[in-house]
Amino acid sequence: MTPAVVFELERVSKTYPQGILGRRRLTALDNVSLRAQAGEAIGLVGPNRAGKSTLIKILLALAAPTSGSGKRFGKPLSKRQTLARVGYVHESAAFPRYLNAREVLHLGAAFSLMQPADIPARVAQLLESVGLHDRPSEPISTFSKGMLQRLGLAQALLNDPELLVMDEPAESLDANGRHLLHSLIREQHQRGRTVLLVSHHLEEVETLCDRVVALVGGRIVLDQPMTELRRTAAKQKPRFLREVLQPFYSAVRT
Amino acid sequence: MNAPAAVNAFRWLIWDTIRQSIASRIFWVMLVASGLCIVFCFSISLEGALRERTDEVGLYGADGKLLTDPDRNPGVLSLAFGAIRMPLYRTGASEIQFLEALLGRWVAGLGGLLLALIWTAGFLPEFLQPASATIFLAKPIPRWCLLTGKFLGVAALVTAMASFFFFGTWLGLGIRTGFWQASYLLGIPLLVLNFAITYGFSVLLATWSRNTITCLFGSILFWLTCFGMNYGRHAAAAWSTLMPDKPGLPASFRFLAECGYWLLPKPADLVMLLDDALGLSENFGQIKEFEFVQQHGQFYPELSILTSLLFTVAMIAIAARRLRTAEF
Repeated sequence: MTPAVVFELERVSKTYPQGILGRRRLTALDNVSLRAQAGEAIGLVGPNRAGKSTLIKILLALAAPTSGSGKRFGKPLSKRQTLARVGYVHESAAFPRYLNAREVLHLGAAFSLMQPADIPARVAQLLESVGLHDRPSEPISTFSKGMLQRLGLAQALLNDPELLVMDEPAESLDANGRHLLHSLIREQHQRGRTVLLVSHHLEEVETLCDRVVALVGGRIVLDQPMTELRRTAAKQKPRFLREVLQPFYSAVRT
Repeated sequence: MNAPAAVNAFRWLIWDTIRQSIASRIFWVMLVASGLCIVFCFSISLEGALRERTDEVGLYGADGKLLTDPDRNPGVLSLAFGAIRMPLYRTGASEIQFLEALLGRWVAGLGGLLLALIWTAGFLPEFLQPASATIFLAKPIPRWCLLTGKFLGVAALVTAMASFFFFGTWLGLGIRTGFWQASYLLGIPLLVLNFAITYGFSVLLATWSRNTITCLFGSILFWLTCFGMNYGRHAAAAWSTLMPDKPGLPASFRFLAECGYWLLPKPADLVMLLDDALGLSENFGQIKEFEFVQQHGQFYPELSILTSLLFTVAMIAIAARRLRTAEF
């Protein structure tokens, strides 16, 4: 039986107006087609300004494609209901600084339209799992970046998402934080959840993902299973992904 | 979206707004300013013989001439717990009415409104900053719910602050002087309405610009425009009567003034309604233009409030539509 398609993008392009009159256009995504099946852990890599964040924004209905179409859990991307099955970790984890950790999670759960009765237990469980259970009532203005990122992980997991989208989640995390993050990703993957991980840390993608998609200049230049890449790399050594991607990245620089 | 989840989302949006407001210094400034006004009211007392005159005619003798010595033993109005004492040449009731008008019209109606606009102008732009908004906008809650929840949260806060001010000052004046004018409390809904119609425009600006300064100055400018249009319409209606020696206004000008009046919110009408509620016309002179439209049946309070509310609803609807398609 073919695994269910979690999301698919079909010839999606996105351009942004540039200049005062907006006549010039900056192409962020150019004819991108991508499909993710249930249970996959996809590493989305690429240099800066490759279009990774734009792709995620389109996937999460934070931006609309200029052309092309897409679906999330079989429904058009504009249908917000399916976002209830998605968790999102943002790179900056900029939560309202006047709230405490418990309130941030309650707010996130309320916006996820979770059943009110289920929320307190879920919040307590997640605070425990990300190691913030001893500071639930402290204002997050006193939190370090790493702690905020842990809180970001917890809010993404509130609704037990079938698709976990993570945009640079390891930024600001210390060694313990990274270990926690990797365990969470592995756990989600083992449970058959789909993970879309955007990262500049190629070693992280190597170890956690089973498929790599590389975006360069708004185009997908590589989309292969990790096992296949390992085979073609024929070395199976650590950090092989860097070598695989090097030609694409170099092309951007020149 | 099921009902319990929707109610919970609104509850948390309102709670988020309350926490956001408490984190703002202006909240504490408003609270302290309101507290000082309440203390001021508790510091007032009326002493001595109070003349129970009903109007200024009492100052004149039977021959119509001004009495040179209208009252040999006037009462005393004491302020600041007796630190300031002044002779009372009005009845106690009208003196308290004057103070209530001062508090309702100027302290709350103008100062309070301005502070509330400064206080709340940044709430929505801050909420909609891409770094923080993307996390919450990637949730399934409809965007219009976020907007209306935030608006309702702000309105609830301003209602609470207005209630604190009006109840406190009313209680202070009542306890200290024995004059209880319940209609003074109508200032609460009138102030909230005055704020809501201006804040509705601020919400629209927030979805368009996501900038606090734009929201603040835009909404103040909008309020001034509405007040000017409101007053201008009444002035145009009263022109030929109040300015008989001046040429009449062109019909096209009158038409435009009427259109602008009915299209925009009407903050000046809310001032008239507060004046009416306090019964100020019994003891004090009114703005001639306002008096004219009231006496000549050209003021429709219910329609005025309804159209102001409709404008606010339209602003929120346009803002929600704008937010629905906004990209982050």
